[in-house]
Amino acid sequence: MIEPPAAIQDSLVPAPRPCGGLTRAAVVLVVIGAALSLIALFGEANRERFGFAYLWGFTFLWSLALGALFFVGLQHLTHAVWSVVVRRVGELFAGSIALVAILFIPILVFCLLFEHFPLYPWLDHAHVEHDHLLQGKQPYLNLPFFVVRAVVFFIAWIAFAAFFVGRSLRQDAGEGGVQSTLRMRKVSAPFMIVFGLTATFAGIDWLMSLEPHWFSTIFGVYVFSGMVVASLALITIATLWLRSAGRLGEGVLGSGHLYNLGALLFGFVCFRAYIGFSQYMLIWYGNLPEESFYMVHRLEGGWLPVTGLLALLGFVVPFLALLSRSAKVSPRRLVWVSVVLLISQLLDLYWLIMPQVHEEAPVLGWQELGPPLLLIGVLILYVSRFLGKHHAIAVGDPLLAESQGYYA
Amino acid sequence: MAEPSAKTVGLVGLYDDPATLQRAAARVREAGYTKWDCHTPYPVHGLDRAMGLKASPVPAVALTAGFFGLLAAIVLTGGLSAIHYPIRIGGKPLFSWPAFVPIYFELFVLFAALAIMGSIIVFCRLGRWHSPLHDSGIMKEITGARFAIVLEAADERFSEQDARALLEETGCHDIRPLVQHEEKDDAII
Repeated sequence: MIEPPAAIQDSLVPAPRPCGGLTRAAVVLVVIGAALSLIALFGEANRERFGFAYLWGFTFLWSLALGALFFVGLQHLTHAVWSVVVRRVGELFAGSIALVAILFIPILVFCLLFEHFPLYPWLDHAHVEHDHLLQGKQPYLNLPFFVVRAVVFFIAWIAFAAFFVGRSLRQDAGEGGVQSTLRMRKVSAPFMIVFGLTATFAGIDWLMSLEPHWFSTIFGVYVFSGMVVASLALITIATLWLRSAGRLGEGVLGSGHLYNLGALLFGFVCFRAYIGFSQYMLIWYGNLPEESFYMVHRLEGGWLPVTGLLALLGFVVPFLALLSRSAKVSPRRLVWVSVVLLISQLLDLYWLIMPQVHEEAPVLGWQELGPPLLLIGVLILYVSRFLGKHHAIAVGDPLLAESQGYYA
Repeated sequence: MAEPSAKTVGLVGLYDDPATLQRAAARVREAGYTKWDCHTPYPVHGLDRAMGLKASPVPAVALTAGFFGLLAAIVLTGGLSAIHYPIRIGGKPLFSWPAFVPIYFELFVLFAALAIMGSIIVFCRLGRWHSPLHDSGIMKEITGARFAIVLEAADERFSEQDARALLEETGCHDIRPLVQHEEKDDAII
């Protein structure tokens, strides 16, 4: 049906209420994940696999939270009006960065306690002693500095998340109003600079230094593009779920909002593929052994199909599925493409992390699945707790009514 | 009103705000007119739907042209480096597709962009020197601050009384006939 633009009207946003079903699903995930993780952790043979699987799950949650924080900052920076009705969903996930900080502690414990099979080769004294290159990198790649950097990153992210999410929640309660929105717009500019630097160096620290001999100057952008795609996919899924669960209010989210989410997803899918291929092509073209071994490793043996699957799920399928305009406004299409993109983000992190421990071919056993299930369960618990306390829409935002009328 | 040599080719309704125009456009569409158009000083969101415009054929043209660009790039790079000037560089195969991906991408975009430009000119029927709407001076008002609906006399439903009644019904207070001067006009609206 063709409808003339609806007159902007205040629709009733439902009050926050507990998410029983979501909580139960999360508890099941946490119990299964925790059981598998504990078995792996206390069995001497599986402890190393547990460590890498935990890093896998942790970086997934981290990329979702930090990507969502970027999304929130981007909306303020661009003075976006359309996104006011979906910004709370971004704030929901951005708020989980404090949780991610707590979940980082096991990685530190792992680095400190298990010196005979450390996650990062540069932690292994016996290894570094005979490695001239790693000795040269010691001023940067050493445990105290690594910890200090992580603490600085998390302080910065938590401070900005507390600022953006806290102010928005206080607007719900009627505090701040327009002044608060203007203040958030101001702060979003310095936030972007801090975000760019911290996300880059966190990516180098936590993912690139798994192979400390290797370097790629585009790696920070690669990590950034992955986190934006993943968090946009999660925001899209969560928004459509909230709508179908009747938590957004009738007629709040229109096809214009869906189109913009779809277009952002499509754009960043292309961006990520562009960055990923740029990284690969320059290494392939230069053909220098100190760079190319990283790619050669991932294009040989059992890792070749993983690389191919990553190209397929990370670019080819979502690109074709989101190409047309009608696809970008179809809730069903958006949801399944977003699920594919979340899987592609998990696969991308798997592709970055796991070749360091499983040399010949990918391995995906219960030892690998435990920590991600546990961590995803914890994230869902956080989400259901947040939604039980707060509105799923920034009801106090002065631009909400205008955003509801957005029509593309 | 009109000179002897002139004939009325349409009726123009001028509005002062885009919301009234959109409601009027929906009304005109419901009345079943097919040969009519809206003119606004800036893009009015949602007007395309109020008018019932069909999806534009431009995306399909762009995609098709893009694939021709891709084909051209494959032939260009492959033909030159593997057939006509087979020089081995850096120990790589003669047809080293990863090196050519940027060219595939660029020519895809270039062909698509040029096709979009060309097809928009064709679909918008640009390139005519003048139209009665421009000669009337109404366009000057529209590019300033007003919004117009033009009902063409060529529409089979068109009769001046009915069209005028329809525009009045939509809340239009400024309705003017659109006149074509025979001696100089070779164009349609």
